Amino acid sequence: MIEAQGQHPFLLSTASPNRSQRRLAVGIVAALMAAMLLSAPFARLSLPGTEILIPAYAAAALLVELLTSALLFALFSIDRSRAILILATGYLLSGLLAIPWALSFPGVFTTLGLEPNLQITAVIAAARRLGFALSVLAFALMKDEKDWDRPRKASGHAIVGWIALVATLTSVLTLALALRAENLPAFMLNTREVAPLWHVVPAASVGIYLTSLAVLWTRLRSTLDLWLMVVLGTLLIEILLISYLGGATRLSVGWWAGRLFGLASASVVLLVLLSETTALHAQLVRSIRSERLARESRLTAMEALSASIAHEINQPLASMVTNASAGLRWLDNDVPRVGEARSALERVVRDGHRARNVVNGIRNLFRTDTRERVPIDLNRLIEGVLLRTEEETRLRRVSIRTHLEGALPVTVNPMQMEQVILNLIANAVDALSSVTDRPRIIKVRSRSGEGEVLVTVEDNGLGIASDLRHRIFDPFFSTKPEGMGMGLMFSRSIIEDHGGRLWVADNIPHGAVFHLTLPCNAVSDIRR
Amino acid sequence: MNKNGSIVYVIDDDFYVRESIEDLLRSVGHEVRSYGSVEAFLGDHRIDLPTCLVLDVRLPDTSGLEFQRLQESIGIRFPIVFITGHGDIPMSVAAMKAGAIEFLTKPFRDQDLLDAVHAGIALDRRRRADEEALTELRARYTSLTPREQETMALVVTGMLNKQIAAGLGLSEMTVKVHRAQVMRKMNAPSLADLVRIADSLNAATGKA
Repeated sequence: MIEAQGQHPFLLSTASPNRSQRRLAVGIVAALMAAMLLSAPFARLSLPGTEILIPAYAAAALLVELLTSALLFALFSIDRSRAILILATGYLLSGLLAIPWALSFPGVFTTLGLEPNLQITAVIAAARRLGFALSVLAFALMKDEKDWDRPRKASGHAIVGWIALVATLTSVLTLALALRAENLPAFMLNTREVAPLWHVVPAASVGIYLTSLAVLWTRLRSTLDLWLMVVLGTLLIEILLISYLGGATRLSVGWWAGRLFGLASASVVLLVLLSETTALHAQLVRSIRSERLARESRLTAMEALSASIAHEINQPLASMVTNASAGLRWLDNDVPRVGEARSALERVVRDGHRARNVVNGIRNLFRTDTRERVPIDLNRLIEGVLLRTEEETRLRRVSIRTHLEGALPVTVNPMQMEQVILNLIANAVDALSSVTDRPRIIKVRSRSGEGEVLVTVEDNGLGIASDLRHRIFDPFFSTKPEGMGMGLMFSRSIIEDHGGRLWVADNIPHGAVFHLTLPCNAVSDIRR
Repeated sequence: MNKNGSIVYVIDDDFYVRESIEDLLRSVGHEVRSYGSVEAFLGDHRIDLPTCLVLDVRLPDTSGLEFQRLQESIGIRFPIVFITGHGDIPMSVAAMKAGAIEFLTKPFRDQDLLDAVHAGIALDRRRRADEEALTELRARYTSLTPREQETMALVVTGMLNKQIAAGLGLSEMTVKVHRAQVMRKMNAPSLADLVRIADSLNAATGKA
């Protein structure tokens, strides 16, 4: 099946039907078939005196068909498909013709003094049935033509034009029939029985219905197609009941059953069309809103990110500038203090490296070549990271204990993986900064098993409050005053990108443990 | 350049920044103590010297701006020089309105920080001198007898001895003696000086 390629994926005429819609459609047709079979044995039973119900039926048919056509005209004004326009016109014609049909029905409006020619009703019925059938066929055959160049105003004009045309046509036809009644073909023998000539009409209708059904069936690509198939199925059942099972006798059980089933299913179809239009509209509104939200949050995210980056870089810059100034001032003393100046300069060098690390870290976050992966020993990488953080941890009086088991072969992007380990260590160090009553200890362990490697980083700090635990992986969420709130979010996405997992648990008795798994090399060699 | 007789406290949670500021201040002869948080600063004992505080805006637990708001309630009135990683205008306006000496954005010029710290220390020195003078005045005032205090209160309103004597039910001679004692004990060479002394005592009492 071809996917809908229209520019409005939410319209009835372009959205493809889903499973539940198909099921409902099949259900409706099946129920009507069952009803048809149920009423078949009594179909020829005549119900005299039921003419009185004709106006009610006609009014209902008029209403349902006018509403459906209004809905379709509205659809056309957005979709601009000529096929929809034709279909809407067909519904309008059928609806409007129900008026003269009921007015001319023998024995209905006799109290108004209407005694029309016997053949008028039949001719109108024929026009109604064939006109609608042809409009459906036209719709099925010309579906894909779209008139996107037509301005919106023009489609409004087209709608008004077609409505005027159909209204005029209906009036003229009715008038002509009333005036030239004697020249009409002999469809009816009497008020009840049809003449042999009439059989052409149901036969032609069935032919057109079946052709349209076949066309729609082969391409079934939109919700509208689906429901039109239901309509056609209903019309087939209706015509079978009226013209064949009911023996084409007016006011028989079959005749009435056909009309009522047709009306009922047309109403159901109308309701379904309406509710789906509403549902699709709601969906559209939701998606517009969520897109707007996404755009806004993207903007604030960019703002927050740039502020964070500025801060991260300013921090080492500030200490660099201040250290350099201090060095100069030590040298400017009456007795230059070379030792002090030297240590100030050493701190400038250290700050420079720190700034570079910050910049590298930020660049790594936004790197595009992150898919480049090489086989490495994860333990070597961890050791490298620990070596780089040695000074920091020593200054913060944190001792690191490692239990790295053998060699852990993984295929990863080393830059990203260093970033993740560095982030976990830095978080653990920060978590320990407020600990004063016990030694500050971080344990880093690693082992392999069951096709994956497991790394844990545990600290004996204050731990993570349970209500914050699900938020710490969110972007821009941080418990630290200087925190960017990006570290854990990026770490998790990097690990998941590598086919692993990253989660946090409580450490006993103090602190938190971060667990990280990655697929072992044998598995990760198979590239996706 | 001898800055003895003053102390600068630096509070910044970034170790490296803290270290560099401490070294810069030491290089021009300041005595410096530095802390990673407001809590650590409050937990340490303070040195009774003219003081200036160099305070980071963003700090763990109590932020610099919060500390500025609550310091008076805990009996501290040190001049504050704020430093921040990314200063926005409303933040700096709020800090300056609340009486900050300076609001510096990192990375700042060393001279700006040093000037601000000098200004802070000078301000604190002046405040301490004022407070000392006031304490001395209070001591003098309390050394007056109740009668002398009553007499002083009436003298500074501009009353003549005769009127004071009538008001207090004393003889004019006794009032004259009290008056001379007041002038001597309050160390006031003239009536105008005594009025000024009474004013500053009243102002201090009114404020308290």
